[in-house]
Amino acid sequence: MDVKKQTVSDLDSTSSSRRRGVRADGPPDAMPPSLQTLTTPTLLLLLLTATAVSCSALPPEDGIRILSAEKRIDLTGSIVKVYLTLKVENAPAASDASQVLIAFTPTEAQHLAIVKATRAEGKRKKKTYAPLSVEASDLATTALNGARLYSVLLGTPLKPGEATTIEVLYVLTHSLEPFPAEISQSESQLVYFRDSAVLLSPYHVLEQVTYIKTPSNRIESFTRVDPTSRAGTEVKYGTYKNQAPNSYLPILVHYENNRPFAVVEELVRKVEISHWGNVQITEHYKLKHGGARHKGVFSRLEYQSRPSISGASSFKNLLARLPPRVHSIYYRDEIGNISTSHLRIGSLKSELEIEPRYPLFGGWHCTFTIGYGLPLEDFLFESEDGRRYINLTFGCPLLDTVVDDLTIKVVLPEGSKNPQPVVPFVTEKHLETSYSYLDVVGRTTVVLKKKNVVGEHNVPFQVYYEFNPIFMLAEPLMLVSAVLLFFVACIAYLHMDLSIGKSS
Amino acid sequence: MAAKAISSPVPVEWYPSLAALMVSVGLMLTASFFIYEATSSRRSRSLAKEITTAAMASVFLGFGSLFVLLASGVYV
Repeated sequence: MDVKKQTVSDLDSTSSSRRRGVRADGPPDAMPPSLQTLTTPTLLLLLLTATAVSCSALPPEDGIRILSAEKRIDLTGSIVKVYLTLKVENAPAASDASQVLIAFTPTEAQHLAIVKATRAEGKRKKKTYAPLSVEASDLATTALNGARLYSVLLGTPLKPGEATTIEVLYVLTHSLEPFPAEISQSESQLVYFRDSAVLLSPYHVLEQVTYIKTPSNRIESFTRVDPTSRAGTEVKYGTYKNQAPNSYLPILVHYENNRPFAVVEELVRKVEISHWGNVQITEHYKLKHGGARHKGVFSRLEYQSRPSISGASSFKNLLARLPPRVHSIYYRDEIGNISTSHLRIGSLKSELEIEPRYPLFGGWHCTFTIGYGLPLEDFLFESEDGRRYINLTFGCPLLDTVVDDLTIKVVLPEGSKNPQPVVPFVTEKHLETSYSYLDVVGRTTVVLKKKNVVGEHNVPFQVYYEFNPIFMLAEPLMLVSAVLLFFVACIAYLHMDLSIGKSS
Repeated sequence: MAAKAISSPVPVEWYPSLAALMVSVGLMLTASFFIYEATSSRRSRSLAKEITTAAMASVFLGFGSLFVLLASGVYV
């Protein structure tokens, strides 16, 4: 009886929100009346399972509403960065809220690289930001528009009647569609960006505004959803008041973007630890220009003589940020050494500027390898429980690039046991054995894989392992025994009498 | 948490000089070993002396070659 009652009330709320949703973006009463009766049994079934599943998770219909939302979309690079500032309030009649949900469209969720959230505490000058954990929510609200939800877990629950400010940063990759899709050398690159004028949210939004920042003044067109205004490189949507949950108003911005669309399709980073004092890192890159494809011929003469208008969307150098005290750096490909690179070593970071053999135009590929050595004492530590751990930076050292497929292989010294990687986000992990110089049993290798990696993923991670320092003597003892074997053979030969004639 | 940094047992800057020193000592011992083998007759040879020289030479050459590898950038 109780269950039935609940489902009926839930049904009512979904149908009412659906009606609201329809009102927001389409003609009212377009829904055939028979649909509701038709879907009732399936909805009932769905809701029964949904209530069973989401017992622990809060339904989005709890007391939370967004007082004000500010969305700043940064389109100045090839990667889309969105900064959301949400002022969230819990209704006085509701219970404590431990999480706030953020909604993404299915396309956004597919291209989503990272979501980070912080909560602002305190007033004005004493404002502090506490990082919050974000996780993908399996809460089923796909009934309306297939939106994927992520829940921001509030450190301390939001009490009824309280309000707080949450700042969210999320990064979207491959979300700018070049249009025209093919350009010639002298043309500039124009891209489409699609989003919504209003915030897609499972909550009621009282007041909101969206700012879109473009890299240059050249904006070919943008969808108008009044009030919309444009000033220089910024397009402002809003202020919109009183938006119903799950409202979505598609917008399209067509603008010029000549920033390098550097995409690393595959990056394999191999980290070899030697307890004799070195951490050797080898990185294999498969780079691509991910922008509008190049059309027609490529004139090197025109490219060199008129660099301002020719090949505006191409790029010819990349900057890699490496740790300080880096040594023995090399930059090469299958042919051999590439001499066009510059290194600046500083006390906090080193910068390696590399130029591929040719400038990269849309759709062009290039593969190369970077290798460098690092002093062991900067990266290897002993934890309190006696285990050793290596502290490295995740992600790709190249700035402003997207890595589609990242593999990090940490090759531990021979004789290491129980490797345990500690990475702050979800990665695919497995172990393998690799062989290197003077190896007998092979080296334990921790392999970490992650797709869709951006600069925000460059955070430290650790690999813990157990190692007995006595194993360090294995390699010299091998060399010693090899030489000793030679001497023993000499002694044996000289002591043997191999002459055919009678020994005197 | 004050984690202790782990460095190599021998300072990295010493590797080239250590390599040169140990390899030259090892080669000298090897030379003395072969000189002894060539100059003494089969009956007057002492196996203990041969083994001692061979063992010392191999220790020096073994560690010497390790430091040659490390100094040249092949970190084993």
